Amino acid sequence: MKFKTFIWFVGPSLFLMVLFIAAPLASVFLGSFRITQPVVQQIEVETCSAGFLAQTCTTELQTVPLIDEETGDIVTTTEWVGFLSYDRVLEPARAWAAITALDYNALMQIDFWSALRFTLMFTLVTLPLVIGVGLAIALAVNSAARSLRGPIIFISLLPFIITPVIGSLSIYWLFVGDGILTRGIEAWLDRDIAMFAQGWTIELLMLFYRVWHVAPFAFVIFYAGLQTVNQDTLESAIIDGASRFDRLRYVVIPHLMPLIIFIALIHLMDAYRVFDEIVGFRAEAHVTSLQYLTFDFLRPDDAGNRAFSRASASSMLTMLGIVVLLIPLLRRTWRDHKGSSH
Amino acid sequence: MFVKRFALAGAVTVAASAAYADGQASCDWENTTEVTMLSAAFEAWMAVSEGMAACGNFSPELDQEFRTKQPEGFAADPSLYQIGGVSNGTITPLLNQGTIRPLDDLIAAHGEHLTPNQLIQIDGDTMAVAMMVNTQHLMFREDILSDLGIDVPTTWEEVLAAAETIQEAGVVDYPLGATMKSGWNLAQEFVNMFGGFGGDFVNDDNTPNVNNEAGLAALDMMMRATEYMDPEYLVSDSTYVQQQFQQGTIAMANLWASRGGAMNDEAESQVVGLVASAAAPLAMEGGAPATTLWWDGIVIAANISDEEADNAFRLAMEGLDSETVAAAPEAAIWLIEGYTPNDMATGAIASATANPAPPNYPSTTQMGLMHTALGNELPAFFTGEVSAEEALAAVEAAYTVAAQEAGLLE
Amino acid sequence: MSDTPRAMRQPMGLKIGTAAFLAFWCLLAAFPIVWITLMSFKSPVDAFAANPFDVILGPVTRDRGNGLSALDLALGLTVLFFTIRQAFTWLPRKVSAWSPAGQVWAGWIIGVMAYAVGFIFVFFLVLPAILGVLNPILGPLGTPLIGLTTEHYQTIWVERGFYNNFINSLIVTGGTVTISLTVGTLAGYGLARSGSNIAFWLLIMALVFRALPHSVLLAGYLPVFVNSAEILRPWLGENAPTLYGQPLAVIAVLVSINQPFTIWMLRSFFQNIPNELDEAARVDGCTHFQAFRWVIMPVMWPGVITTGLFSFLLAYNDYLITALLLDGSNQTMVPAIAGFFNRETTTTDQVVAVAAAVSIIAPLFVLVMVFQRQIVSGLTAGAVKG
Repeated sequence: MKFKTFIWFVGPSLFLMVLFIAAPLASVFLGSFRITQPVVQQIEVETCSAGFLAQTCTTELQTVPLIDEETGDIVTTTEWVGFLSYDRVLEPARAWAAITALDYNALMQIDFWSALRFTLMFTLVTLPLVIGVGLAIALAVNSAARSLRGPIIFISLLPFIITPVIGSLSIYWLFVGDGILTRGIEAWLDRDIAMFAQGWTIELLMLFYRVWHVAPFAFVIFYAGLQTVNQDTLESAIIDGASRFDRLRYVVIPHLMPLIIFIALIHLMDAYRVFDEIVGFRAEAHVTSLQYLTFDFLRPDDAGNRAFSRASASSMLTMLGIVVLLIPLLRRTWRDHKGSSH
Repeated sequence: MFVKRFALAGAVTVAASAAYADGQASCDWENTTEVTMLSAAFEAWMAVSEGMAACGNFSPELDQEFRTKQPEGFAADPSLYQIGGVSNGTITPLLNQGTIRPLDDLIAAHGEHLTPNQLIQIDGDTMAVAMMVNTQHLMFREDILSDLGIDVPTTWEEVLAAAETIQEAGVVDYPLGATMKSGWNLAQEFVNMFGGFGGDFVNDDNTPNVNNEAGLAALDMMMRATEYMDPEYLVSDSTYVQQQFQQGTIAMANLWASRGGAMNDEAESQVVGLVASAAAPLAMEGGAPATTLWWDGIVIAANISDEEADNAFRLAMEGLDSETVAAAPEAAIWLIEGYTPNDMATGAIASATANPAPPNYPSTTQMGLMHTALGNELPAFFTGEVSAEEALAAVEAAYTVAAQEAGLLE
Repeated sequence: MSDTPRAMRQPMGLKIGTAAFLAFWCLLAAFPIVWITLMSFKSPVDAFAANPFDVILGPVTRDRGNGLSALDLALGLTVLFFTIRQAFTWLPRKVSAWSPAGQVWAGWIIGVMAYAVGFIFVFFLVLPAILGVLNPILGPLGTPLIGLTTEHYQTIWVERGFYNNFINSLIVTGGTVTISLTVGTLAGYGLARSGSNIAFWLLIMALVFRALPHSVLLAGYLPVFVNSAEILRPWLGENAPTLYGQPLAVIAVLVSINQPFTIWMLRSFFQNIPNELDEAARVDGCTHFQAFRWVIMPVMWPGVITTGLFSFLLAYNDYLITALLLDGSNQTMVPAIAGFFNRETTTTDQVVAVAAAVSIIAPLFVLVMVFQRQIVSGLTAGAVKG
């Protein structure tokens, strides 16, 4: 295909991606090395506030931003600060002190490192579970009676299609306070349980929710893949006396390998961006994730402050982590690409 | 009714469940220019927007994301919203950016029924008109306290003693409830307690000032109170505590006054008529009640024409009239004439009129940064990961970094 | 099972194990969703009751005069059963019979909508009317057994104008899917047929883009969207639009964010369409575009439908972007209900929000029912190299 034709084909898509993804990304990248601050002044202000019976007035020193008389905007200064924001997010000195003293708890007091710990744990624990559970369901459905397959596939897809905000809430309600399932477990174990009172139970719930939500996606992809397994190969394997397990290991799994890679790729990205669960399960007291950290920096407080620069730095660090995670998979894609040139 | 509903339906993101049993909002003039508003979405705002909608041509946006959208929306030229709903916490960015206008001439024209205690004045200019006050005060199960012969607690020490008695009697699952959800809520609880111990958050030179006696005392008191709470207190927000009351699982809580009406809602509550309120408990003898005072009210955008502003303010006054109060008397502690305080408001009024009086929540940039730092760093203390001193040091460190980034500190 | 050779059949133990595993999985998959559906039909006291049987049976709801008798249940379930059965048998026949050739998908959309409207009419209007007459006559059969109330649904759809959010959701979702697929199929085809290194690096870039945390992008959007009128004025003059709150702007953002996944999926799908097909057309003197239009388009639908479903889910379920970039009057459904769950709510509000949540899931149900076969066949055709 000529380059010009190729550009015609991919142009619109590329344009959209550049405009809405690359451009903001570039500004975030630059923003992580810059700090924009308002120019402030201290003035004495008399503030009278509303009260139930009467106004209450106080006079105090307040720090307020200067406003440009002509444009009506706040006067700001922007300076290049190098890696200062990265330094503030990573707190390398404190982290290094904690590592050399082998003080795990102290390291976990730094937001970034505790978020990284959870994000990595979450990603690496859910990955095999999603693939395993997805594969198990696919194999089970594939061996079920034909008449049952439709309804089972339908039910299995429900957790995947459900809106994440609603899905996490529906599971949250089952467990929060004395939710139905918490009571069930209490009756079964005969002890008082609070699922949201400590970190590890919340982490368990979040892991469960993510596997529940994503395994159906893996299942449906694997199930589609199982439909194209070469029956002749399977039959000749049986003639050669391969056991059921051997057939799975030497015929089915290799056939599904590209799909396993595909699922792994998608899931690695998504799990590394874990965010909905933190919000849905209100876990921020005990655990946070990298994307939540960024979100938290960006969320304006009552006074409208946002930590733009640190948010940019933390999102660049998140990006870096994703690229590192993806390298092995990318190398494989590169090999495939070289092999499949048209 | 249906026509009005239809008009509101498109705009109200979330609507109140308040029953407008008596009094339909009415309006004696026809609004001809489109008026927009952005505010929070709790019941009082529903009631007010209902009142404004009666004049027509009004699209309110009651949005939980209003904090994020308001500064941007008001800074646009022309402003995306003409009217804004703010509280003393959220007015700060609008004041800082100068995107809201002084209202004195508008009040002279349309605000004849406003009273002086509704006006928020900065250096003599009225910048906002308040419609209600809100505060956290003590709510308790009257029947439980009188059965056990406990007097209504007036200090936090008495609250803990009462909680101990209730715990021994075993009449409820947990004696205490508290809005200690990590983040904003937990920070607010600390703000209350710290103020009750006479603390001052920030020094004049913008450096933090929480790692001190008052801070430690506040954390210690909060930690002692958690022993009587549901162990999941770090996910418990106002709605959660309100439901604990309604389902009869707690006996006392320091809770927002605006939540009082829900206790007697027969559709939800199993404790109708049993919950009473009193002033927020003192943290130390001779101190102010450990709470902060809040107001909610309206502001008018600066980046709109004077005619639009005049029209918008006139419409806003329709929302802040006694009809609104008559339609939703339980929705808030109104500052609007025609409001008669109900039982649930007694605690809030007692808190507000105590001597010394609790402080108003400060509308400053520093307080915003401090509140965020508290909300992010304090949970580690309650989960037992760090000591009180370490937690307060972490708060100061987080505040310092944020203040440096915001240009308040070198 | 007669079509499988003897050697492929499973031993009894494995069969039972598999069946038990599947049953357990189905319970796990459906339980939370079934549970919130149950909650949404109860009064607040029942919905958050401590005893699970109260949530199922709803005594308080029943005592308030919102009960269902044995007769109601029997009739209601019968209607439901037939509705679902007809949806799989009668409806596809009618759709394929009545749709103009080549426009079956449009026929499906209209057919499903009409079917849903008909069902709502029968189930919520005709049935209660009939039962209202029958119940008092029948004595014990007509006394309420289970508390069930649709008041929360009435509240949300009628009083709170949720239909508005529903329409907005349709606009945003429909726009996103359409544009996403149009742009994506072209790019996917281009990438599949070009072996150049540029194509590869584009794909890698798309992959990295897909991995971006969305909150990173959002920070950059809001100020630009709000002030777009000022920013664009030099180019567009006085008609420069404020992008904030415009469904079109949100559609553009969602399409872009969704593009990487779309082009990956479609590329792998087009790679499985034999090269010889369009090569033959090219030999006959077609340009690439003509080959795409006349040779590829007729055979690409399975993959496009599957990819479209993923786009649909993304747009329909999105919360972060829609919550921030849309204002009240064009709010989609998901951010609209998130408002209920936030700070200032009453228990009634929460149950209403649960009802809204169930309302949001319902169209997804229908979607999966209708497209289930296409999903599997589309993936079979696309994702695996044959």
